[in-house]
Amino acid sequence: MAQSNTVRILDGNTFVVCEDTGDIEATPSEPTGLFSIDTRFLSTWVLTVNGERLNSLSYDDLQYYESRFFLVPGMATHYVDAKLSIIRERAVGGSFREQITILNHDEKPVELEIRMAAASDFADLFQVKDEILNKKGEIYTEVEPDKLRLGYRRGNFRRETIISCSEEARFDKHGFAFTVRLEPNEQWDTQVDVQTFAVGPGGRDLRMGLRAHSTERLALQHDLEEWIAAAPKVNSQHGRVAATYRRSLVDLAALRFSPLSLGGATLPAAGLPWFMTMFGRDSIFTCLQTLPFTPDLSKTTLRILAALQGTRFDDFRDEDPGRILHEMRYGETAAFEEQPHSPYYGSVDATPLFLVLLDEYERWSGDVALVKELEPECRRALKWIDDYADLVGNTGYIWYERRNTDTGLENQCWKDSWDSISYRDGTLPPFPRATCEVQGYAYDAKTRAARMAREFWGDPGFADQLEREAAQLKERFNRDWWVADGEYYALALDPEGRQCDVLSSNVGHLLWSGIVDDERAEKIAEHLVGDRLFSGWGVRTLAEGEIRYNPIGYHNGAIWPFENSFIAWGLRRYGFAEEAAMIANGILDAATYFDGRLPEAFGGYQRELTKFPVEYPTACSPQAWSTGAPLLLLRTMLGLEPHEGHLAVEPRLPIGMGRIEVLDIPGRWGRVDAFARGRLDLHNLAD
Amino acid sequence: MVDATTRFFEDLDRRGFEPLLAKSFGTLRFDLHEGARTTHWTIKVDRGRIDVSQEDLEADTVVGTSPDLFEDMAAGREQGIAAILRGDMTVAGDPRLLVQVERLFPGHPDARGPRRRFSHEEVV
Repeated sequence: MAQSNTVRILDGNTFVVCEDTGDIEATPSEPTGLFSIDTRFLSTWVLTVNGERLNSLSYDDLQYYESRFFLVPGMATHYVDAKLSIIRERAVGGSFREQITILNHDEKPVELEIRMAAASDFADLFQVKDEILNKKGEIYTEVEPDKLRLGYRRGNFRRETIISCSEEARFDKHGFAFTVRLEPNEQWDTQVDVQTFAVGPGGRDLRMGLRAHSTERLALQHDLEEWIAAAPKVNSQHGRVAATYRRSLVDLAALRFSPLSLGGATLPAAGLPWFMTMFGRDSIFTCLQTLPFTPDLSKTTLRILAALQGTRFDDFRDEDPGRILHEMRYGETAAFEEQPHSPYYGSVDATPLFLVLLDEYERWSGDVALVKELEPECRRALKWIDDYADLVGNTGYIWYERRNTDTGLENQCWKDSWDSISYRDGTLPPFPRATCEVQGYAYDAKTRAARMAREFWGDPGFADQLEREAAQLKERFNRDWWVADGEYYALALDPEGRQCDVLSSNVGHLLWSGIVDDERAEKIAEHLVGDRLFSGWGVRTLAEGEIRYNPIGYHNGAIWPFENSFIAWGLRRYGFAEEAAMIANGILDAATYFDGRLPEAFGGYQRELTKFPVEYPTACSPQAWSTGAPLLLLRTMLGLEPHEGHLAVEPRLPIGMGRIEVLDIPGRWGRVDAFARGRLDLHNLAD
Repeated sequence: MVDATTRFFEDLDRRGFEPLLAKSFGTLRFDLHEGARTTHWTIKVDRGRIDVSQEDLEADTVVGTSPDLFEDMAAGREQGIAAILRGDMTVAGDPRLLVQVERLFPGHPDARGPRRRFSHEEVV
């Protein structure tokens, strides 16, 4: 969703999406509203003065959790004559609060009828997303002298919105109103408080006592300042890299999410507006990107995912013992098992990536205690890879085939849309499927687990076994997946072992994982920055020339900043610093067109053709792993790498980037600084 | 025939140590309400060591539900997290302990789990 005229503020999984007047008028296709725990609590919130709608002069997103709207009565054609100003200031943080201020600029007194229309459809976020709105329960409204209660009931499932005001208001079934007389130059204001409740049978709220931080405005402000102060400082000669970094840091703060029932620990939620929840894959990728800057996120993410690791076979949730979750939801469809997200386990990459993150986290932080604490979960994750993920049998690969054929995910890899995996002739393979990047993650997971077993778990025998398995996997993979006529790795294998032989961005993940044979790495690097994959901004999900290629195909041609950051990291790992810098440069250039906030995806059009990156039509923003992308790109260009207890810095920056300094990088070394100057001439490479 | 609820708790008690609770500490009480009558089951967890009793002990976490729903959970026919979201089960106190104990409940009796495609046998 990317309507340019909508304003969003958020705190954790409570957020408001509204028009530029502050009004909310949700329709099935217009996902505005006040949302919390995956439920819409306000679908109508329209302010009128003397029956007239208001017009926006300007609005400010002051912070991620607050915004301010300056309004006048009437339409744009005559507002210059307006003798009234209306200011709406609002903040979310647990509840939703709005301060309404009205100023009379006239030399005469005025009589005003100020009215707020309020209603809620209590739509589940899934219903909003898929435009389904037939509620099975009952919506009710209760008018009380000092408040308006909007509610929804289905069995014991109850959600309520309670609206109250600091000034005396007349509440009715459709909102509330004030009659006000204002003398010349007089002003009037009221504070409106909107609280959301998930009420259990005993009247107890589902979320009671579970806030990660205080929800008061000043506390939020303080929390944000602390968050920024704790992170490294980035200064750049041209300002734009530093600005993008700062934007990312603030958005990461906004996207921190505290799952219910886990004691207030925070992890990155996936993104606004559809994914303000816990995702295995997205949270892990975001942590990997942000480790040098905000390492605490990794620790809590690992602990939370470990605490919810699968323990049994559940076909509806695609749960197996040892599997790391895919997605958790709190709305009505999850509650009544119309959707499987309580939680849903249908992803095959989160489990190996969990191991990768833990090892990477230790390399930076030196937090051996966590590696020891999570040893049992790591062993269960490795067992899942060996025992439950090889759905074809004796291949040693990780495959997927959903057991929940009704509401489960068909593609359980990061490219999870229905048509993302295909053969070169454009047809889709049968199940089970195995995608290449997941085999890379498994190789990396075993290699890293071997290090942890040897160094921290005191189990050298297990370490040897894991290294043997990893080596065998690498050998097998390089035999079965290499597309000889194209000289790259296949996107996927079908159950007969046939290759899905399209050229895709997934080959870039393989460099990051280290599964690529050294003598093949150069060819892969060539493909990644070649014309078919590289647009000038970044690497396309699918190469130009493939039958399913479409520059705005979600996973069939669009460019995903998150993925590009990992591709750049992988290129750097194999020594292709120029190629890595080229991708970093393209993505960071693109970021400046979005005020430093990279969207989920943008079009795969050639850079010379459009001159600016075309945002993907329904892209999510801010989205955690897009927000993390500039951070990983910085790490990659500066060549930051933990090495024998200290931080190695080996910058390879393009000339145009000028000087960049990153100060106070936290880790096992305490805090150190990194300095870099652009010296790479990328034009030589392009020729 | 012993019901699934009793079997669940007896089995837990017999185990004595549960690796999935090795990081957990505290007391969890299930209050199973049926009309005016409430049956109590209390689980004391001390880093994996488990002690089950039917006493109405003070607890860090108190979970309320019906004996029928609990029986379905103990038999794998219902899942606890969804039941909490639905309001069919309530939690007072520290919810973390419940989230950990919930993982000890069995999967659905009809769950087939992952199967290998060509060997036509279950992986497990």
